[in-house]
Amino acid sequence: MEGNHNICTGCGLLCDDIEVELEKEIVNKVYTACRVGVAHMKEGSREASFLVDGKPVDEPAAIEKAAEILKNAKNPLIFGLGTSTNEAQKKAIELAKKLNATLDDTSSFCLGPVVEALLQEKFKTCTLDDVRHKGDVMVFWGADPSDSHPRHLSKFSYFPRGEQKQRGWEEERTAIAIDIRKSHTAKICGNYFFQIPPGGDAEFINALIDGVSGKLPKTSYGYPPKKLLELANILKGAKFGTIFMGLGLLYSLENLDPIIRLVEVLNEKAKGEFHLIPMVGHYNMRGFNQNLFAETGYVNSVKFENGEAKHGPEYSTVEALKAKTVDAALIIGSDPLASLPRSIAKNLLDIPIISIDPCETLTSKKAKVYFGNAISGVECGGTATRMDGVEVSFNPIIETKRPSDEEILTKLTEAL
Amino acid sequence: MDFGSFLAAPEIKVKIVTYRDIFQNKAMIEDRFGEDYKNTSAVIKMDSADLNQLSVKKGDTVIVKNSFGKIVARVEESGYETSHKGIAYMPNSPWSNMLVSDETGGSGVPKFKDIEATVTTAKGAKITDLEL
Repeated sequence: MEGNHNICTGCGLLCDDIEVELEKEIVNKVYTACRVGVAHMKEGSREASFLVDGKPVDEPAAIEKAAEILKNAKNPLIFGLGTSTNEAQKKAIELAKKLNATLDDTSSFCLGPVVEALLQEKFKTCTLDDVRHKGDVMVFWGADPSDSHPRHLSKFSYFPRGEQKQRGWEEERTAIAIDIRKSHTAKICGNYFFQIPPGGDAEFINALIDGVSGKLPKTSYGYPPKKLLELANILKGAKFGTIFMGLGLLYSLENLDPIIRLVEVLNEKAKGEFHLIPMVGHYNMRGFNQNLFAETGYVNSVKFENGEAKHGPEYSTVEALKAKTVDAALIIGSDPLASLPRSIAKNLLDIPIISIDPCETLTSKKAKVYFGNAISGVECGGTATRMDGVEVSFNPIIETKRPSDEEILTKLTEAL
Repeated sequence: MDFGSFLAAPEIKVKIVTYRDIFQNKAMIEDRFGEDYKNTSAVIKMDSADLNQLSVKKGDTVIVKNSFGKIVARVEESGYETSHKGIAYMPNSPWSNMLVSDETGGSGVPKFKDIEATVTTAKGAKITDLEL
């Protein structure tokens, strides 16, 4: 975007049309962004903060202590990075290699498997710009972008005019929600909300495949075949269809085979083409997945040994913490003590934590060493990969005395 | 204290499905230790028939517990037209995470959106504070 527009790093959409007003080097007003984006853009301008055992220290002392923890660990865990730039993520991968560490991000317990399948080209995908310009049928499945990606429908998928969609949502676009509850997005979809029971997604997919293949669609929970056929016909009639896959769908499936099969069948049977985009939440989770994939062939859950990456669920953060196989944790831009089940995250309290985070969190409060870093997109620049794979670069909006996570990771690597 | 009436309070089993909420997300960004985040997170939305069975009304606090944890949260009517008795909804947060099982089958993926718990009246007890 040209002009004085900024990028919002509040979610995976990386909206590129944000205007801000500064007052005394503080973001005072934010225009165009959503509710979450406004709060995010105004977060900056905190004082520099480095703590060891909860007490203020200078940066070199914090680096020294963190390096000592990592040196003494036999199997440190490096976790987080969904809200870090590509540059910081690459530094973290380098550091993990050097330390023979376990490296993982939140995608191992959210949409990582879908991004992995995407990078392995197991289904057809497209960009959000393609959807804006060409999309006529969009399916929000187990996803509620009105809450998770608030401008998804207005900027890309439903409401805007596009190059080939000049008559817009009123006449040329059909938004469909498939969910177990009437979410805010489902309300927008009106009569095209298909409510299914919890855990009923795989059966619904198979019934839809039957429906688009000319067979009578049936489910064990008695979903009306007429409604299923109505949906199958809308999907079949699509010229440029996209399924936006959320966690609700992913968690309901034992594996991705049914949804991959549905996209395949739709591409065979529909008038045009059908795509799938995972509804990645953190602004650069997809970047982490792609950066690690380029380096190791895996998107998350790796353990480095002499430069080689071993991969498997046992190297995911959840399983590593459960089995207590890691003996220190470097956590960057994430708060696992809040975001993981308490029954698992409590094991973090038994090992030394190094927290790099712009905010005070439950995890930072329990950290042996804490670095208050700059917020990327607000206080430092870099590049990130949007939820649809488009690379976006951004500059800092305000100055800060805080170092970026990339700078901290560079210093940590040097100190080792 | 009338302990007998506490024991007699109705208790129901629910399956809790978690979801995202834009207002709660904004409150977290602004202050994750603040009242606004607590009040938008420690909420359980239930079918009105379940509220009646528990003899609680919207805005009351309830105890939600299972073998993994116990929290006090505010109860609300979901407002969904379709009946969903026995299914409750909570915003994904540290409060819902206190109730998530550690059983993952070795997959690395906890059942964040599939929590089994019981609900009973909290008799006016305050919402659980966020601490470790």
